[in-house]
Amino acid sequence: MVVAIVTRKNVFLKGPIMFNKFKEFYEKRHDYAKDWKKRTGGKVVGYICTYTPEEILYAAGVLPVRILGGHQPQSAGISEPYLFGMYCPFCRDCLAQGLQGKYEYLDGIVIAQSCIHIRQTFFTWRQRIPHEFDYYIPMPINVVQPQSSLPFLRKELEIFKGALENWIGKPISDEDLRRGIEIVNRDRQFMKQVYDLRKRKDPGLTGLEAMYMVVSSQVTDKREHADSIGKLLKSGLSQRELGREASIRLMTVGSENDDVEFVKMVEETLGATIVIEDHCTGSRYFWDEVELMDKDPLTAIAERYIGRIPCPTRDWSPNRKRFQKIIEFIEDFGVQGVILVQQKFCDPHEIDIPALRDVLNKIGIKNYSLEFDITVPVGQFRIRVEAFLETFEAEELF
Amino acid sequence: MITVGIDMGAKNIKVVVARNGESIGHSLLLLETDLDRFASARKALGAALDKAGIGEEEVNTVVATGAGKKVVTFAKKEFTVMGCNAKGIIRIYPSVRVVIDVGAEEARCIRLDETGRVVEFAVNEKCAAGAGAFLEAMARAMEVSIEEFARLSLTSTRTIPINAQCAIFAESEVVSLVHGETSQADISKAVHDAMAARVGAMSQRVTTEKDVALIGGVAKSIGFVESLKAVLKEDFLIPQEPEYVTAFGAALLGMEEEEASKEV
Amino acid sequence: MKEYPTEGLKCWGKAKELRDKYYRDYITAKEKGGIRWTGNAPSFDAIPYGLGDDVYHLTSEPYGASVGFNKDFARRCHEAVEARGYARDLCAYMRNYWGSILLDEFVFGGRFPKPDFMWALHICCSHAKWYQEASRLEGGVPYFAMDWSAGMYYKWEKEKQDYVVDPDQKHRVQYLVDQMQEGIEWLQKVTGRKYDDQKLIQAAKNYFESTSLWGEICSLNKAIPAPMDEKMMYSLYVFSALHKSHREVVDFYKELRDEIKDRVARGIAAIPNERARIMTDIQPPWGFLEIYRFMENYGVVSVGSFYTFMLIGTFEIAEDGTLKARTTPMQKGAEMKKREDALKLMADWSLGSFMNQIFYDHRFKSHIMKKIYRQWMCQGIIMHFNRGCEGLTLGVAENKLALVEAGIPVAYYEGNMGDDREFELAAVKEQITAFMESLGLIK
Repeated sequence: MVVAIVTRKNVFLKGPIMFNKFKEFYEKRHDYAKDWKKRTGGKVVGYICTYTPEEILYAAGVLPVRILGGHQPQSAGISEPYLFGMYCPFCRDCLAQGLQGKYEYLDGIVIAQSCIHIRQTFFTWRQRIPHEFDYYIPMPINVVQPQSSLPFLRKELEIFKGALENWIGKPISDEDLRRGIEIVNRDRQFMKQVYDLRKRKDPGLTGLEAMYMVVSSQVTDKREHADSIGKLLKSGLSQRELGREASIRLMTVGSENDDVEFVKMVEETLGATIVIEDHCTGSRYFWDEVELMDKDPLTAIAERYIGRIPCPTRDWSPNRKRFQKIIEFIEDFGVQGVILVQQKFCDPHEIDIPALRDVLNKIGIKNYSLEFDITVPVGQFRIRVEAFLETFEAEELF
Repeated sequence: MITVGIDMGAKNIKVVVARNGESIGHSLLLLETDLDRFASARKALGAALDKAGIGEEEVNTVVATGAGKKVVTFAKKEFTVMGCNAKGIIRIYPSVRVVIDVGAEEARCIRLDETGRVVEFAVNEKCAAGAGAFLEAMARAMEVSIEEFARLSLTSTRTIPINAQCAIFAESEVVSLVHGETSQADISKAVHDAMAARVGAMSQRVTTEKDVALIGGVAKSIGFVESLKAVLKEDFLIPQEPEYVTAFGAALLGMEEEEASKEV
Repeated sequence: MKEYPTEGLKCWGKAKELRDKYYRDYITAKEKGGIRWTGNAPSFDAIPYGLGDDVYHLTSEPYGASVGFNKDFARRCHEAVEARGYARDLCAYMRNYWGSILLDEFVFGGRFPKPDFMWALHICCSHAKWYQEASRLEGGVPYFAMDWSAGMYYKWEKEKQDYVVDPDQKHRVQYLVDQMQEGIEWLQKVTGRKYDDQKLIQAAKNYFESTSLWGEICSLNKAIPAPMDEKMMYSLYVFSALHKSHREVVDFYKELRDEIKDRVARGIAAIPNERARIMTDIQPPWGFLEIYRFMENYGVVSVGSFYTFMLIGTFEIAEDGTLKARTTPMQKGAEMKKREDALKLMADWSLGSFMNQIFYDHRFKSHIMKKIYRQWMCQGIIMHFNRGCEGLTLGVAENKLALVEAGIPVAYYEGNMGDDREFELAAVKEQITAFMESLGLIK
């Protein structure tokens, strides 16, 4: 329900209208991509993991879109014959979307040497749902020895660029690459500007709205997406109020998370606010930009992917680069509690969890872990999250 | 020749007495906690023989199958459930090439050839477990009988998605629904749909071939059958007394075994 | 019923001795000021040998398997690890290893020996992080992980309908070599020792020889009757996983190869009643190797698997499509004079491992499994849907489909290589029996 209190300043402010555009981008992502193809005559390539260098795809004039799950329980059965039972819900759900023909508009599919479960989805996809173009970029997993991994990645990006050029039938110049970098960076910068607002006492937007904004970046033309954020910022986003108490300031940490039902439950039903997150559908996706300066563009791109906040699969250093970022975020965003959104069977994240909890406990940040599947028992989760939130209130009383 | 097949299932014992390959009597005994399995097997055998109107001395051979088959020490031979299912179903429906068996604890899918020989099979995996016992637990949670539970499912007009892979997750969701405002009919359908999805997914691990049959105790649940029809999107045959097919197949295999040993 | 002559392996005594020595050396390494390190089986163990003659290591997957074999110990490890908050579905070997650290118990007796450093080659998603956590649990032992994931070494050639070596390997090899160079610098810093390139070169030669020898030994199992059964082979292949770059293993494998050759010549069988041959795919359930003996009762022998042959053993595809032991660089006349020569050859050798390829394309494994099935004269394949290993189960469902499509009889069972809570012996025996019935092997 929209409660619009019409004052000079707050005309849009108490209501979801501002982020509706992003919600729509996300919900109608297939229509968007099909429409984009019609409008531009361009090709669309699907990717599953955020290590895919979208800058190069933009340079090629191709639209990269992230393949996401559908959160319907029957997905499990559809993927079953091709997947091992112990593989994560996300990879299972993504494959099911493909097998059901939801992505038939894709002209190609690319991954950048993701985790094993996503690789399986990709392998089955390219075999059983053929597209014009499919490519596996051997993105190095070792990012802690950049001396070794950078030259290797640079070479692999060159080979990838060559394959793209072959496919689209025209060369990709350095100028094109710089343009691609600019397109993606601009979107990143805008998203960071919005995120900055969430540091305040009144974050001005909910975690759900932030999720819509970031995930929609993954499924739209970033030029349009950034424009939309620009409009949002210009229309007084910084004066927008949440319209309620922020209550407990939460951070969610995990892998891919576009579980709208869950986030809604935490914020709308239980009244807490997710002020920041560490997901590849959140900050981890866009936080690091490509620092072009006067470097050769492919090198700059390679550096960005080697140096970005790592997914746990690539976070090998003793004090974990990702943890350092999480601690920084907790400080900067005034986080009081962390919910670990754990995709069932996701090994890399599961390996990190005890260490992460140790770190969080050490700095006095309460945390709670929940195991997610393609669909979640929101009712049961509500009971648990509510109990978790109550532990804060009890402390506040004292 | 009189052969007896004893299927020592997880929840109950099924016995079929066959004369020259035709069933002449059968019995089903729920495993009781105060009677050991061996004694239960003897009791079930007695009941089946009574129904058939023959004495134990007239029996040529007794064979056993099922999870608890080792306990039937008076059986001359034991066979795998897969083998019995295949043998039993091909006798009843010679056109069947894939049989899905859903019992109390386990579900399996078997592809067979025209002679009733097993060619390929799949068993439900741990992360997609749940068979008859799961349905019963859900019915209990709603405080209705299993038959009522199935009947309710047919009256539902809504599809509520619940976790179709993990029985533990699904159970969690059902508890939420039961405490919420969802109607019993809708919950029941959701549960049957989820189980059918799991069984359907498992059977996809086996190469499909017509005709398909459904057997086992759960085949008697009209709720499950409707849900499975929607999942498989094709018709399948259900024998009149689906829970006895395994025991029947065992009796047939026992007869083959006897005839073969006579020839030697 | 035909009965073949059988004989126990003459090498058994030697094998036991070698194995005991391996673990004893590791346990006692520090007593004489030696170096002790731990890492995964495919890691470049040749490299730390450049630090001296008193360098001993423990490979963690075989250790995890040994724990899996000891059900009680395994259970205590799992409980310790789960109490600490680790998920149950994580790699079973890894949990067995971490469990040993938490319990401070070594499955072979005594306290858990703390390594001086950890040295790994990252393959599946867990490897580098295995040591990241192990290091943390051990109070901060230095660790270094190298990345194997440089892309596929082979490419599909349509005309041949087979895989050939991709000629464009230079940058891949360089990636590994660069990491190895960084690793050597790191090793010197961490141990304070000066590096000896000649020792590295010798260890590299051993690495090529031992892994190729294992390929030769496996190839001898094409004979009918099979001179080895897979359960036996597990105890023999393990040396390539324990210390493939050591002279001892080269010598032992030479001896073993000669003995197996002799067995083939004389028609000595692993099991006297061999009636049918099957192959498996990946790790077995280590706590339940009795299922192999169970099959053997029916005259069914497992002659090997993609895993036993090719986890560490090295193969190549000959012109005519035959799988044979990989030709070593020495056999090709390659010389190693300096450090970089050895590193380059090791990188290439490692990248060409058949096991490496499964991480880029499941069709490769299906293709190779079909070859093994035909060339080792099998009648069926039994696959293990191993809940304890996400790496080697990559593609397992697709492999099964491909094999069935090729008309090969395939059965599969669900289990866990190192966590016996996820394996039901009675159910699996039933499934194996049903499979043997379907092959007409049981009346």
